[in-house]
Amino acid sequence: MVPWWQAYRYATGVNERNRVADRAAVAYRALADLAETVEDEWQYVNDLVDEYLPGIRVLAGAGDGALTAAQILAVDEAIAEIGLISDPHKAIDWLSTFPHLVALALGGDVDAAARASPAGTEPGQAGDSPPEPDDDSPFRILLGGDR
Amino acid sequence: MRFQDAAPDARTVVYAGIQADPLVARVAALLAGATAAERLLARAVMNGERTDAEVWRRIFPALFGESADEELRRRAGLLLAASLEVANRGEAARSQYRGAIVEELTARLLAGRAGPSAPVRRERRVLFDGVPAEIHPYDVTVESATRPEVYDCKWGARGINADVLNQLDDARTHAAEEEIDVRVALVVFDARRSCELRLDRSTANHEQTRLVALESLDELKG
Repeated sequence: MVPWWQAYRYATGVNERNRVADRAAVAYRALADLAETVEDEWQYVNDLVDEYLPGIRVLAGAGDGALTAAQILAVDEAIAEIGLISDPHKAIDWLSTFPHLVALALGGDVDAAARASPAGTEPGQAGDSPPEPDDDSPFRILLGGDR
Repeated sequence: MRFQDAAPDARTVVYAGIQADPLVARVAALLAGATAAERLLARAVMNGERTDAEVWRRIFPALFGESADEELRRRAGLLLAASLEVANRGEAARSQYRGAIVEELTARLLAGRAGPSAPVRRERRVLFDGVPAEIHPYDVTVESATRPEVYDCKWGARGINADVLNQLDDARTHAAEEEIDVRVALVVFDARRSCELRLDRSTANHEQTRLVALESLDELKG
């Protein structure tokens, strides 16, 4: 039997991961709203959002155990960074970059997460299978020391 | 088929000054030996709003945190400092520096496998018999007599457009008419998936155009 304090610690860790991923997803959606004002890029902006937003949410389940303070701070600093953007063209650039920063901070792979969560679904829906490893993932390459 | 230096115009003269800035060579040299995570750091910083190094150290605990080894922290620190120098040049200059850096990085990575019989050159046009020359030169070329290569370089996936794809594919098809097998590629300092999304919507021919994205730049080494 799992002692109650271990179960509590696990649940707290999961909740923290969910809260961090939720904050990142809300910030990403706001960035997309800014980027959408570039009319010529409306389709591309929506393609990026459809690809990465579900992936960011899936990152909540990317790792084991509680996040460290440094991991939470990293995501919150990245959120603060995109919150400063006022140029919609720069916002489009960051729609591509931000999800990978969050993934690196949380120890996941946003591309694999996106594949595991088809566009428009929330984590846990659609009978998602575990994310496949991605050889190109910066996080995976970093862990492997591959240069 | 033959390669030729592009005729300089006012834009290329100004741009040549940026290409020759030692900062471009320094950033490219650091990026050439960097991990994919370090390259992501450089992209973020050179695209960033804030220019406080401590902010970026906090955003990248995998590179600067306690768990990162000393050598990684040292190398990432050098790249962060150089990237901030670019960021501090101001918004107007940044885009030109970023473009020049991707070109220089591409040339450096290719140079690792090139030799006297396949020199790596910059800003070259490709001429074909009976075909009007393209106005815009190709960013980087590997001028092998047997297996030439032509590269266009972009900082971000948004730089992928029909003109770029058509120009690359034209080089390939015109060379094929002369029975020369030219490899054409697009080097993009951005996430592969973001590039693929862009390409998926393009109607320009690009099936034979190779994509080299941020995560896989080391493929250029051969």
